[in-house]
Amino acid sequence: MAGVVLDEAWGSALAFAAHSQPVELNLRTWLRWALWLVVGFAVVFPGIVAYMVWLERKVAARFQDRIGPNRVGPLGLLQPIADAIKLITKENTVPRSADRIVHVLAPILVLTSAFLVMAVVPFAVGLVPVDLPSGLVYLIAVSSLTPLGIFLAGWSSRNKYSLLGAMRAVAQLVSYEAPQVLATIPVALWAGSLSLVTIFDRQLEFGWNVFSPPGLLAFAIFLIAGVAEVNRTPFDLPEAESEIIAGYHTEYSGMRFGLFFLAEYLSVFAVSCVTTVLFLGGGTPFPFLGFPVNLLGDSTASLILVNLILVTVFLLKVLFFVFVMFWIRATLPRMRVDRLMNFAWKYLVPLSLLNIFFAGVWYEMVIRPGRLTFGNWLWGTLVTGVLVVAAVYLIFLLNRKLAEAKPIGADWPSVATAAAELAR
Amino acid sequence: MASILFLVIAAIGVAAALGTVLSRNLVRAGLYLVAFFFAVACLFVLLEAEFLAAIQVLVYIGAVAILLMFGIMLTRDTLGDDTTAIPIAWMVPGLFMGLCVFAVLVVGINNSIAPSGWSPWEGTTSRPSLAPRESEPAWIAERREAVNDMPRVIGVELMTRYVVAFEVAGLLLTAALVGAIALAHREDVEPRAPRATARAAETGPPPEAGEPVASSALS
Repeated sequence: MAGVVLDEAWGSALAFAAHSQPVELNLRTWLRWALWLVVGFAVVFPGIVAYMVWLERKVAARFQDRIGPNRVGPLGLLQPIADAIKLITKENTVPRSADRIVHVLAPILVLTSAFLVMAVVPFAVGLVPVDLPSGLVYLIAVSSLTPLGIFLAGWSSRNKYSLLGAMRAVAQLVSYEAPQVLATIPVALWAGSLSLVTIFDRQLEFGWNVFSPPGLLAFAIFLIAGVAEVNRTPFDLPEAESEIIAGYHTEYSGMRFGLFFLAEYLSVFAVSCVTTVLFLGGGTPFPFLGFPVNLLGDSTASLILVNLILVTVFLLKVLFFVFVMFWIRATLPRMRVDRLMNFAWKYLVPLSLLNIFFAGVWYEMVIRPGRLTFGNWLWGTLVTGVLVVAAVYLIFLLNRKLAEAKPIGADWPSVATAAAELAR
Repeated sequence: MASILFLVIAAIGVAAALGTVLSRNLVRAGLYLVAFFFAVACLFVLLEAEFLAAIQVLVYIGAVAILLMFGIMLTRDTLGDDTTAIPIAWMVPGLFMGLCVFAVLVVGINNSIAPSGWSPWEGTTSRPSLAPRESEPAWIAERREAVNDMPRVIGVELMTRYVVAFEVAGLLLTAALVGAIALAHREDVEPRAPRATARAAETGPPPEAGEPVASSALS
């Protein structure tokens, strides 16, 4: 009986969202895009990033029993502005032996890549800069430009530490891109579309993606790989200050260094936004209800009200992720480089590959019937939950056995060592 | 407007391609190649194929170019400065292969047939309207579907009409992978970094006869 009642309750969570629609290229569309570009990308996002830096300094200070910035303005709130003025007025030096054009181009490339990611994120109903039918692929494509920029920064500086940092960065970013992309496949599979707006709509119908065992695993993998993609502790080997000065941006000064800084924090913000959209149902406050979106009527007032709720909740979720990243940074030490690579290739990639099959099972059990029912959800959770737990246990066990097979101090086991073990 | 954009992008693309071939520095050549890939992605956008453009950027810039650069960094000539021009003896077969690829592309593109059947080439085609109209030719409906739902259309085409080409390309890539491993995997080199074996010899029991070779091949 309870199941039937719950079915009714969840059945009311129908999607009323503005569905993903093709756009005509008329004057209104151009105006909307121009508005996004001027207001969003030139004012709002850099402002958010500036205050994220302030927030990180405050949070890190609390973790380390300090006060943090408190001189410029109340609570140090004007500190980002002072920092920006300082960075702009500082001298921009280019090393004499550096490749001048590439050296100037590299930070711009990194920053552009970070900015472009924001272009497909649906913040609320209708509040999406561009709704591409293949938004997810676009997202992955533009974020894959970052390693190129970092590599060029390190290469053009003609500095050994820069080159080391660039090499580490490229190895790390390429490795962690694989599990990150594989972790988004379940989401695309369940939504049946690559458009982020459609993915948002489907989560109104079937609950947040994170509330399913494969979704939870994909979420965890995506978040870990995301932290690695933005080069933050414990994955900040490319700019490990205690080993290689500042890595790829050793030779940068003034605002060009500031651009790298801006790009890093913008990427943190972007990764948080994308995670929120893909796994946490965008701006909806409750997992299985279409709550603010089903209030949407024809009037403008209702649209504004709904969007206010959505944007507020969205920003709260993003803020939570940003805080978690600051928290991780203040807590964990840096990883060793071999463990970093092993973690990507031997834990995350196999797990995310297996997870695609589990996502298929979940699709057949819960989403294929066309409507979310409590019974389907429960059975799906049980079956895929057992599968996911077994897979995680198996992968960790196998890796542990492989590591145990070699004496302490030996090279980390690889596939070849396993083959050699078998051959003996 | 569109034709001017096309001319500009095409000019940039040709310039970047020439830069790739003529550049002395290996990394610079790679950078020109990235610019060329980007020009191709822009052409895809002009053709309303933003999915293909994203895939182009993802695969060619995000993966191929990065791995190219990474490969350069793994060689001795890290900065890519020592690259000299290709000897003349290699230029002729290179030119020949380039012309062959061009001919294959020309023939292939000129003889491509839409699923609805063969239709004559036109200089320009306008974007199909969003709403289907009555008595429109079949290819307009196809175009609309392709523009609005490109990932699905491409997936279906790759699995039905072009499945043989798809499989052959997959086989080719697998062969390339195996070839790369065969080239890079050296069985019988001298122990280059004997750190692990030396330490094992100091601390642990003496390794068996077959082991030093195996571990040195790994390191």
